[in-house]
Amino acid sequence: MSKYLDLSIKEINELLKKKEIKPIDLVNEAFERIEANSNLNAFITLDKERAIEKAKSLEEKCVDNILFGIPIAVKDNIVTKDLRTTCASHILDNFIPIYDATVVEMINDKNMIIIGKTNMDEFAMGSTSQTSYFGAPKNPWDTTKISGGSSGGSAVAVSSRMVPLALGSDTGGSIRQPSSYCGIVGMKPTYGRVSRYGLVAFGSSLDQIGPMTRNVYENALLLNAICGRDDKDLTSSYEEVVDFTSKIGESISGMKIAIPNYFVSDIVSSEVKEKLDNVVSLLKENGALVDYIDIDYIENAVTLYQIIGMGEASSNLARFDGVRYGYSVNDPSSIDELYCKTRGEGFGEEVKRRIMVGSYLLSGSNADVYYTKALQIRNGIRESFKEAFEKYDLIIGPNATTTAYNLGEGLDDPLKTFLDDVLVFPANMAGLPGMNVPMGFGEGHLPIGLQIIGNSFDEVTMYKLASFIEEKLGLELDPREVK
Amino acid sequence: MSDYKKTIGIEIHCELNSNTKIFSNSINGYGKTANSNVNVVDLGYPGVLPTLNMEVIRLALKAALILNCEINKEMHFDRKNYFYPDNPKNYQITQLETPIGVNGWVEIEVNGQKKKIRIHDIHIEEDTCKSIHYKHHSFLDFNRAGVPLVEIVTEADITSSEEAMAYVEKLRELFLYADVSDCKIEEGSMRCDVNISISKTDEWGTRAEIKNIGSISNVGRAIEREAIRQEELIENGGSVVFATYRYDEKEDKTIMMRVKEAGNDYRYFPEPDIPFVVIDDNFIEDVRKSIPMLASERREKYVLAGISELNANKIIQNRSLSNYLNRFLDKDIDLVVASNLLLGDIAGYLNKTGALIDNTKLNDEKFITVVTKLSKGDINSKVFKDILDDLMESDSSVDEIISSKGIKIISDPNELKNIISTILSNNENSVNDYKSGNERAIKFLMGQIMKETKGSANPELVNKLLLEELNK
Repeated sequence: MSKYLDLSIKEINELLKKKEIKPIDLVNEAFERIEANSNLNAFITLDKERAIEKAKSLEEKCVDNILFGIPIAVKDNIVTKDLRTTCASHILDNFIPIYDATVVEMINDKNMIIIGKTNMDEFAMGSTSQTSYFGAPKNPWDTTKISGGSSGGSAVAVSSRMVPLALGSDTGGSIRQPSSYCGIVGMKPTYGRVSRYGLVAFGSSLDQIGPMTRNVYENALLLNAICGRDDKDLTSSYEEVVDFTSKIGESISGMKIAIPNYFVSDIVSSEVKEKLDNVVSLLKENGALVDYIDIDYIENAVTLYQIIGMGEASSNLARFDGVRYGYSVNDPSSIDELYCKTRGEGFGEEVKRRIMVGSYLLSGSNADVYYTKALQIRNGIRESFKEAFEKYDLIIGPNATTTAYNLGEGLDDPLKTFLDDVLVFPANMAGLPGMNVPMGFGEGHLPIGLQIIGNSFDEVTMYKLASFIEEKLGLELDPREVK
Repeated sequence: MSDYKKTIGIEIHCELNSNTKIFSNSINGYGKTANSNVNVVDLGYPGVLPTLNMEVIRLALKAALILNCEINKEMHFDRKNYFYPDNPKNYQITQLETPIGVNGWVEIEVNGQKKKIRIHDIHIEEDTCKSIHYKHHSFLDFNRAGVPLVEIVTEADITSSEEAMAYVEKLRELFLYADVSDCKIEEGSMRCDVNISISKTDEWGTRAEIKNIGSISNVGRAIEREAIRQEELIENGGSVVFATYRYDEKEDKTIMMRVKEAGNDYRYFPEPDIPFVVIDDNFIEDVRKSIPMLASERREKYVLAGISELNANKIIQNRSLSNYLNRFLDKDIDLVVASNLLLGDIAGYLNKTGALIDNTKLNDEKFITVVTKLSKGDINSKVFKDILDDLMESDSSVDEIISSKGIKIISDPNELKNIISTILSNNENSVNDYKSGNERAIKFLMGQIMKETKGSANPELVNKLLLEELNK
């Protein structure tokens, strides 16, 4: 079995340019690895035939960019033309989109090769990927553990080295938390950085697509390829797109870094705090300033996420009604029965719970009591972060309070999934970029991740710090090497 | 006469005549094959996002300015959530919090009395699909999904069916003239909902809503019928239920569709996919300047030029003819003659051929020439009819057309005098009739002269010369 997919993208690119390998070699290897690891349940749908076809068609073409011919996995809530897109839900398990998401067009333009669609929590609602209609993916470091979620399948596919690149989406930590649990690098860019056109909406004002990769440099490369203004998404930004790799390798001396006290409070397990302390020492040794600060309102982020996320979700998911596409019950006796049965049978428990709670939150005078109030407090969080970024370059902390827990755990406790994610919500609330870079291992050799939160549209500085930490720690992040 | 007072408020939906839909780039067009002007955005596909058509903002702003509204310079859209098959996303994008215009007014006139109807607000929203029911099936035409609408909501200022009809007619005229909407009630591009309650006191009664009334005259009839229904109900000890009705034209009565539950729960919240729209004063002024002369101003100018009110209204009803006539408002021509031509033979020609006046060869120069010739009597209406097709279809000048038709206009008094003498000597009986006081004889003599000259004589001149001869 060849091992080209263990090489860095730079190395693969050299080989492709020298014609020592062909894209088809990479595609074949990716499918070999996926088949060998099918127990991990990383993918919902594979696109083998078209991937092979595309790889062959690339043989004629000039290797014109560094991502040329690289296999990539796409989270199954990002629509792909002619390739089933399920959102891990029964209600869309027969849905074949007739258009490509903007990010998918961009990936195709760079001649990356889409291998398949990755597993996730149903409609990205969850933080364990266990709400998937297709069963939960498993953590490559310990298959009795959760992958995290909702972009669990993408995290597993990259962590287990099935593919070097994947796309995830992050509404309330869904890129960073599984990246943390699976020991990979994941970036939730600034809200507006990447077009949401073609991302099946969950919480429209929070959702953001981002890259999930084996290392920091490759993460920056993938973000380079997918961001920029898209006229099809009015919330996408006109902000200038810089080369996100450009500050990688620069000295961190003189950088000012803040840690919110909330991020090191009792909610965080001691092994996670320990790893964070290591990072703090490392930063100080290398000339960075590290302060512990208070950021007002961030402890409210869970509540805000629930109100805003579920409120918006209840509206966004209304379109799945059995009338135009997706699952539809046979022979309903009335339009109401079509709606009730289709949605009752098509959606899973967690999705239905969130739709109901979200509908309640927007209902009548509740909208003022909850939703409008939540928007006000969200502004408060934004202001607090803004203030912090007047003094500091970056904010750091853990991404998760613990390492990955057991599959099956917490399924009967709908609140657990939210409380596990208390540390990732603030970045979504403020629209700020947040990322995960591995910072060590806890008990059972399960990965622990560092969260870096940057100022608006300052991903380039985050990559600089992340790559510094990655290099200094020099962790072995390939689960196959440890076994 | 009933001693109940009517309190009426009207909500009108108008489709804006933009080229494309409001939130997608599909064509906005009526009467196309079902589901031909449709894309993934209109279908509410998973993952799609709305774009915002600025032409719609312009048109809605124009409408808001015409209705004398205060403009919301910072506005956003809201989602109105409800399940219905014709509602592709199961939410409609509309404006609740920040309608583009508020606190406006429209002036109407009923029986010579002028009255201002206050406009509560005008807001922008998207249209739904069209449902077509056939036997036990329902079909959806998405061509209409996403067509831009403005909804205009009045205060409850209207007190009679006449005022209601005058208001709808006025709004239609305003929007038609400003080119905001084609306002075709029968095609559904203008839809009218009426809220009506009756009361003997100043306190309003419980209202009923009559939805989607199909013509302006039916607005009046529906109000009358509903008021009678409510009055009979109250007089018989019943009470009006807050409900939605439709007006059935055949039965001439309002029919209940559904009882309204207290406070519809539409779960409104700000549309997160569309950022705030900010319009500045320059934009507003730019749009204000694009508003053409409106119907009331046109009517004033026409009447001032001597055109009868009846004819003025007739011209106003045909915007392209009115626009055409306006090109000559400051020209030195007889506008009465001009308007008669437009409403008469020219309108007839346009009807017959289906042409638009702007697409004919009747350019400004030709129109001025021909109107002047008619008003001076150089040609008469018969000649005009003879040359009409050529005026409309040929590049030749008026004089070229006249001479090519072999039409000779006799305006030489001496030549005419000779003809008149001949006619008079051949018709002595009539001359005697005239001299003995029979005025009608002159008509006969005129006819004979025109016959002799094959209609080519200047009739005014003939009349003048004939009288001179007879009275010698």
